[in-house]
Amino acid sequence: MPFNFKPQKFNASIKTVEIGCGDKAIKLGGESVFPFYTFDGPIENAPKVGVEITDMGLINATPELIAYYGEGASMADMAKKAAAMEGADFVYLSLEGGDPNGENKSVEDLVAVVKEVADAIDAPLVVAGCKNVEKDAELLPKVAEALQGKNVVIMPAKEENYKAIGAAAGLAYNQKLGAESAVDINLAKQLNVVTTQLGVKPESIVMNVGTATAGYGYEYVVSTMDRVKAAALSQDDAMLQMPILTPVASETWNVKESVASEEDSPEWGSREERGISMEIMTAAADLVSGSNAVVLQHPQSVATISKMIKELV
Amino acid sequence: MFKVTFRFESGEAVETFATSGENLLEVARKTNVAIDAPCSGNASCGKCRVKLVGGELESKKTRHITDEEYEQGWRLACVSTIEADVEVMVPDIASAYRSRMKVADLSSPDEVAIFEKTKQGLEDAGISLHNSLRTVRVSMAVPTLDDTMPDNERLTRALKKELNTEVVSLPYYVMRRLPDVLRASNFEVQCVIRTAANGHVFVYDVYEKDADVVIGGLAVDIGTTTVSGLIINMETGEIIGKASSGNGQIRYGADVINRIIESTKPGGQERLQDAVIQETINPMIEHMCRASGFDPKHIYRMCVAGNTTMNHLFSGINADHLRMEPYIPAFFKTNSFFASDLDIHINPDAHIIVAPNIGSYVGGDITAGTLVSMVWNRPEFSLFIDLGTNGELVFGNSDFMMSCACSAGPAFEGGDISCGMRATDGAIEACVIDKDTMEPTFEIIGEAGVKPVGLCGSGIIDVISELYQCGIINPKGKFIREGKRVRHDKYGMGSYVLVFQEDADSVKDIEITEVDIDNFIRAKGAIFSAIRTMLASLDFDITMVEDIYVAGGIGSGINMRNAINIGMLPDIPLEKIHYIGNSSLSGAYAMLLSTEAEKKTYEVASNMTYMELSAVPTYMDEFVASCFIPHTDNTLFPSVTLK
Repeated sequence: MPFNFKPQKFNASIKTVEIGCGDKAIKLGGESVFPFYTFDGPIENAPKVGVEITDMGLINATPELIAYYGEGASMADMAKKAAAMEGADFVYLSLEGGDPNGENKSVEDLVAVVKEVADAIDAPLVVAGCKNVEKDAELLPKVAEALQGKNVVIMPAKEENYKAIGAAAGLAYNQKLGAESAVDINLAKQLNVVTTQLGVKPESIVMNVGTATAGYGYEYVVSTMDRVKAAALSQDDAMLQMPILTPVASETWNVKESVASEEDSPEWGSREERGISMEIMTAAADLVSGSNAVVLQHPQSVATISKMIKELV
Repeated sequence: MFKVTFRFESGEAVETFATSGENLLEVARKTNVAIDAPCSGNASCGKCRVKLVGGELESKKTRHITDEEYEQGWRLACVSTIEADVEVMVPDIASAYRSRMKVADLSSPDEVAIFEKTKQGLEDAGISLHNSLRTVRVSMAVPTLDDTMPDNERLTRALKKELNTEVVSLPYYVMRRLPDVLRASNFEVQCVIRTAANGHVFVYDVYEKDADVVIGGLAVDIGTTTVSGLIINMETGEIIGKASSGNGQIRYGADVINRIIESTKPGGQERLQDAVIQETINPMIEHMCRASGFDPKHIYRMCVAGNTTMNHLFSGINADHLRMEPYIPAFFKTNSFFASDLDIHINPDAHIIVAPNIGSYVGGDITAGTLVSMVWNRPEFSLFIDLGTNGELVFGNSDFMMSCACSAGPAFEGGDISCGMRATDGAIEACVIDKDTMEPTFEIIGEAGVKPVGLCGSGIIDVISELYQCGIINPKGKFIREGKRVRHDKYGMGSYVLVFQEDADSVKDIEITEVDIDNFIRAKGAIFSAIRTMLASLDFDITMVEDIYVAGGIGSGINMRNAINIGMLPDIPLEKIHYIGNSSLSGAYAMLLSTEAEKKTYEVASNMTYMELSAVPTYMDEFVASCFIPHTDNTLFPSVTLK
């Protein structure tokens, strides 16, 4: 019997969310097929790759990143080099220095960093807070205000602080909102429900449903993303049709495989290569599971993943 | 050794001695000072507050006590250790848990009507409401110098002849009374007897010939949070006395797992058994008997319905194996307990019927409840739900039955809710909130003009449903509207003031907090996800359920429409949902009164399949999806709309 190809058609699609302005603006989502299922239908907006920099500059950076950005690089320099990285679609600025349990930088200082970065580049920008829910609730509305007209993603809005961040980013200053939940399809949906009930348009929301480094309980990530996409497409669940943006580097560069020195673990080989491998493997797995964008750090990871995407879409 | 003084608000004091480093909560427990500690002393619930009024106490600061309160002397007993002589004040609220629990104990006409209907249902199913206890009248020849037969033989012979039996047993209790009763009554007496299936006769008691003999029976529902009981006339089925009380074991932990852990400590089995028998059941018996003028020694049979853990702790049998794989109880069914074994203050020879367990987490309360729910007697599929600290479900029909249990916590019984109370005078039992003004109107139990005191179970459902429908809270139970009744504390926790203090019969405003709402959402989420998981495992859809029978202490005032609105019960037509009261107590009553009902319960229990929810991979997922008002998948609740 001859092979009879039957495409899997859905009467639903992932919402299209546009980030940035002008020529460099990018679109996330929009497809009506499972990840990379181009044989079932077109994927107009291929998954995107972001490059992570932080307000801490190169203070905690690995030698290879210091080499790439150049010692003593200003935030503006770093932003430009990140945007210029081969395969980069957007820049992801993490404000980890704001953490009250860490550097505890003031909101004003951080907003100044944000402005410096935003002014230096015309690539789309994603600004992530310090992960402390109270500090983010105070910091991120100011960031949203400072970047009016730039159409950036402000994240993470979590269950505990979505009201403050959602109202500022999604309603008052017309930015995009990144809603973060902890690897659970129901929690992801619940956050989208309450956020849209606040008045934020579904088209202004991207989801970070969470990730782990490959090998660290990663099965939960696969099944969560898989089920989110299945519910969005096959059940037309409007509260799960937001595109998924997954920060990968912040997870993978903290596991022992990426951190352990060559002196301590000579049998493991080059630390840099190990770190790149962990980052690439996790990002590739996130993309095939359903992420519409991943955020990476190492130039080689960015180049490799963007090449993978180009060849598959 | 240091002196520790517990002073109560009433001014009374209890003194004891403790060594350096002893934990204050432990000292209180040993001294029988009741301090509520639902978390079993892990500093997580913040309920064991005491006030330091003299001496010194080594105590950590916790998030439950503000700086200001710490200044005033407030401490958590569980994080306080004895380092010197000390005097602490125990506020009424710390021990009030014993009396403020919400119990369906047939105290309202509605509940009595439900109970009568239950009895009728059993009779309609062909179960006769009779038992093996009865009174016989015998007369004997008065002894003389020529007729020197001893008293016991004289009675035994008379009974053998009268009852045409070979074996008659007289216990010590009867022997002790016999000589006096026989002579006072001129050798014509009435005996309370049981005739066993083999024809053997056991004599429980002897009465004088003119005595007005009432054969008493005691039915007790032992819940994790509350205990309720009935004294009945075993011949007519009439109720002689009723009572309810908080389970004295609460201070050893709010849930069964904490209780079991406590019972494994040295002396723990005895402490937990004493807490439920000496501090709870015996005082209830005394109270019921005093109120009705009934002699507790005239109670000749007892029936107990409780979950598997409660049955073990009640009988003083090691319960530790219930909580550990492979979860094996010491017994499912037993008939070897007598009142004298457990020191229950009724007739010492009274036999204790225990409603059978069917699994480590589905116990006699459910088998007894299933009996009266009549699920086993219909060809249609029905679902029986017992809303207790452990929520239990039974689904099936006359061909098969399936059961499971989930942990709901004490929220349905008013526990875990800061303004929770039992359904008595002053309880808000129904509530409507105006969408625009956010002003509530209430129905309050009691005479017209009575001031509100707190919320009972049915009131909590109404309040949460109304808050959601008016858009005051979001589906997660967090406050999203502002107004004079919505407040936030310094940690940002929201609350809604139901009644301001000047309008309430309370020392503070009556308010419901986000934590209360969250506790309730978890409880209803546990129930709803259990329903979904069990039906899904059988490939059944909720539309195939003909009837839902809801039981538990939540009270007859429960508004089923609102229970659906918050996603606690499935969205099916209201006329299919029925409240059947405290079915565990009704079941215990039926098993006590009717030998056939007792047999039927054993049969029902052996026909039930037990499903372990924790072994179902999708349960946790369903639970998270259900912790949302009404549900993360709102297509499951098409009839729920906002105001």
